[in-house]
Amino acid sequence: QLTPSSFLRIGQMSNVDLNEDIHELETELPRQHPNEIPHNEKLLSLKYESLDYDNSENQLFLEEERRINHAAFRTVEIKRWVICAMIGILTGLVACFIDIVVENLAGLKYRVVKGNIDKFTEKGGLSFSLLLWATLNASVVMVGSVIVAFIEPVAAGSGIPQIKCYLNGVKIPHVVRLKTLVIKVCGVILSVVGGLAVGKEGPMIHSGAVIAAGISQGRSTSLKRDFKIFEYFRRDTEKRDFVSAGAAAGVSAAFGAPVGGVLFSLEEGASFWNQFLTWRIFFASMISTFTLNSVLSVYHGNAWDLSSPGLINFGRFDTEKMGYTIQEIPIFIFMGVVGGILGALFNALNYWLTMFRIRYIHRPCLQVVEAMLVAAVTATVGFVMIYCSRDCQPIQGSTVAYPLQLFCDDGEYNSMATAFFNTPEKSVVNLFHDPPGSYNPMTLGMFTLMYFFLACWTYGLTVSAGVFIPSLLIGAAWGRLFGISLSYLTKGSIWADPGKYALMGAAAQLGGIVRMTLSLTVIMMEATGNVTYGFPIMLVLMTAKIVGDYFVEGLYDMHIQLQSVPFLHWEAPVTSHSLTAREVMSTPVTCLRRIERVGTVVDILSDTSSNHNGFPVVESNPDATQVAGLRGLILRSQLIVLLKHKVFVERANLSLVQRRLKLKDFRDAYPRFPPIQSIHVSQDERECMIDLSEFMNPSPYTVPQEASLPRVFKLFRALGLRHLVVVDNRNEVVGMVTRKDLARYRLGKEGLEELSLAQT
Amino acid sequence: MAPLGCFLQLFSALALALGLAAGETRRLLALEALGEAEELAEELWGAGLPGDLPELEPECRRLLVAFAERSAALTDCLGRRARPVRLCQACHLDYRRLLAQYGSIVRAVGNSSESHNCAKSILTSDRLQIVVTLSEFFNETWEAANCANCLKNSSEGLSDSTVEFLDLFNKSLTCFEHNLQGQTTYLSPNNYTEVCRNCNETYRKLNNLYNNLQRMNRQGGESGHSAHLCIDVEDAMNITRKLWSRTFNCSMPCSDTVPVIAVSSFILFLPIVFYLSSFLHSKQKKRILILPKRIQSNASLVNIQEKYS
Repeated sequence: QLTPSSFLRIGQMSNVDLNEDIHELETELPRQHPNEIPHNEKLLSLKYESLDYDNSENQLFLEEERRINHAAFRTVEIKRWVICAMIGILTGLVACFIDIVVENLAGLKYRVVKGNIDKFTEKGGLSFSLLLWATLNASVVMVGSVIVAFIEPVAAGSGIPQIKCYLNGVKIPHVVRLKTLVIKVCGVILSVVGGLAVGKEGPMIHSGAVIAAGISQGRSTSLKRDFKIFEYFRRDTEKRDFVSAGAAAGVSAAFGAPVGGVLFSLEEGASFWNQFLTWRIFFASMISTFTLNSVLSVYHGNAWDLSSPGLINFGRFDTEKMGYTIQEIPIFIFMGVVGGILGALFNALNYWLTMFRIRYIHRPCLQVVEAMLVAAVTATVGFVMIYCSRDCQPIQGSTVAYPLQLFCDDGEYNSMATAFFNTPEKSVVNLFHDPPGSYNPMTLGMFTLMYFFLACWTYGLTVSAGVFIPSLLIGAAWGRLFGISLSYLTKGSIWADPGKYALMGAAAQLGGIVRMTLSLTVIMMEATGNVTYGFPIMLVLMTAKIVGDYFVEGLYDMHIQLQSVPFLHWEAPVTSHSLTAREVMSTPVTCLRRIERVGTVVDILSDTSSNHNGFPVVESNPDATQVAGLRGLILRSQLIVLLKHKVFVERANLSLVQRRLKLKDFRDAYPRFPPIQSIHVSQDERECMIDLSEFMNPSPYTVPQEASLPRVFKLFRALGLRHLVVVDNRNEVVGMVTRKDLARYRLGKEGLEELSLAQT
Repeated sequence: MAPLGCFLQLFSALALALGLAAGETRRLLALEALGEAEELAEELWGAGLPGDLPELEPECRRLLVAFAERSAALTDCLGRRARPVRLCQACHLDYRRLLAQYGSIVRAVGNSSESHNCAKSILTSDRLQIVVTLSEFFNETWEAANCANCLKNSSEGLSDSTVEFLDLFNKSLTCFEHNLQGQTTYLSPNNYTEVCRNCNETYRKLNNLYNNLQRMNRQGGESGHSAHLCIDVEDAMNITRKLWSRTFNCSMPCSDTVPVIAVSSFILFLPIVFYLSSFLHSKQKKRILILPKRIQSNASLVNIQEKYS
């Protein structure tokens, strides 16, 4: 009779000096003094698990494949297209909803504040208007922040880092749930209406991804509704493909850039890509833009005019007026350099701020208070800037939505107010298209400075908000300033149209912050509807990326690192060839025998200290001294389903009528398998045996101990594995390589660094 | 080198002169030819020859002349009323007449029983199409001035609101004048307090009326019309506003800088308090390190440490 704790430890038997190490380790294991350190960037969180992209080719799978004939597979292919179309439609509709609600609520807010300011300008008492503005902002942002901080913290921020991690194969808890989508949409509306320096475009990508993940599963676990459709797609691999389509649809809805969306998915998101996927993703993007267009055209009263795509429409640049010449190329490159430096500064500042936030502002109440403060300060800064500005422009012939007169003469408006007293999207469009002379250089300079710090301060708050639009706005402001001063410095010999330079500045700034190249070029081209500027935008973005990368990495990568996510980059660190699988792997490995006692399985699964997800299955020898070669790999989720359905050897003999377990039973439980605690196993059943051979993956990927780290990494990364078994030359299990074992090696400033694991 | 250059210059000058001369003669010849052609055409017309001849038939000629006169009248009106802008009030009759005339030229297509119709020969028989261009110019100007906005729908005359506005405008102008006349004799030109006091009511009324018009226009004008009022009203308001706030310096907004500074510095001060207090009082979040289950072979330790140092 085996005691529950004496399950096999193959690693212990493999060789002698290994054994010693393990004994040392085991003596340390009951840690009296947990090693506590403040949060830093060189950590890997245990919170994040891996997604399983490897198909378990067990007997059930083979049976199912045999049963489904060729025609059925064709319907699966059609279903994929249907799902992509639905993703596009729903993403477009969500984008419309956000757009319309933001437009109306923000319009209401600005009208109220404008009325108040107009009233108090005559009578005096403008401090009340300031208080009103700040209070309105703070209270709207408070609601937005409360729902994010208390209900779904993963909805904070733009969501692009989270989706990037998800597509890399990291399971971020709650990231693709319906609840997250609802919070995200409400949160982004509230934070834009609350006047923060944020945009609604980044969150669209996350929303698209959630929609995709939801639709492709044909059910919602949050709502406990199962529509019994698309059951074939209930696994990580299929879901991943749809999520990348969803992200693309999100970009496409946000910027009206279908090609840009596909390329964004390719560049930023998808760590896995195949050719067939591209066309499907493009289809989803196109449908999304089309839906947005149709609905918005109906809303704006000119039904079926489909020519105003995207949440943000940068407006058309007049091609006749807006050419560029060869002399301007060096100027553009210089702007790229400036954008790179400013972007790096932005990221560095945001890095310190985020670190501070993680360490000290981790309680939800504090996070809400912080967001409210930022909202109030944003309003105050805006107000003070408008108050101090003496830059008045004639109101006639301009298209300002909420012209504030304040101290200007009658019939004029304050030009600072067009930049601050507006939603950021509108401000960007104004900066691009307002005729030359609409802004003082002084106004632009002050605006750039203030907005830079505000945007940097705002990113990373516990509100859902994106960084695209603020970056564009900062860039557009200094770009315009640059254009104006250029024609001033050269005494007008270079006639620089400020709108063109505003566009280049916006591209440079955004490139400097997020470090995207290909997709951003295409997005800018599509959003402005101008192919002529493709080349200069490309140059600007390239320069910005090169310069920026010299200082710090991109904002999204930085945040991924600060969240301690085990993210796998494309390649292993270059100087890691001397490390072998033996040093990389975790050992000893908890193995299961092919025919295992139920009690043992339950005990292993309930053991909280070893919360493993995959277990190598070895030959079940009666005596443990024999060589026990690797036979397969079984997952925790599969074991739980087996225990739940009580698929025990004894029971099978008892009742032959019992239904055989099918692959469908495993899929139905996906993606939220019940915890082991919820499964009741009686004392009698503990003595039963369970036969795993039918359910395990009989051919798991293995590597020898001597394989180098880059080799292991390549196999792991390219196939999207979750577990990689390390075996010795007798096919005995020596260790297991998982994502965290690989992700902890990183190329730091002084060569190879090793991150440590931490509980977060 | 120098003599050669000199020679070249001379040569080119000579060539230029020759070329000019040749061009001149050619043009003269061409004019002569044209004249001859005209004469010939007249002869032919006298002989009753139909077809695409350089001369218009008399009916069409009349239409064209009328159009030319009306466009001259409209241009005259537009030019005279350019400053201060009174386009819509003064020229709408001229514009209407011109439109009618152009319409009758276009409608002349109707009697297509004749082989030579006026619309075709006047409007579309040459590359320049000057009549079309002129009429387009007038239409565009009218559109840009947005005159339709202050005229009655489909009939002559200014709309009621515009008339009301212009009355008020004239009233305030007279008020300004009236008050200024008494003033300039004994007060310094910068002090216009009396104007401000006396005309405040009229000015407010005018301003409110204008704002109302604008609001109504924006609400109703979503379909088709642009958001602007017609140029007469806009310009009148603009002039009044400039007089009021620049010349007379009457709109003196109360600037209450002290409370604004106080409130804003209070709000700006809050985050500093917040961050300091959370830095000092909030417990720093600690991460618990987990020891990985791993072979700690010396080789790998050395490897990592080497790279660290």
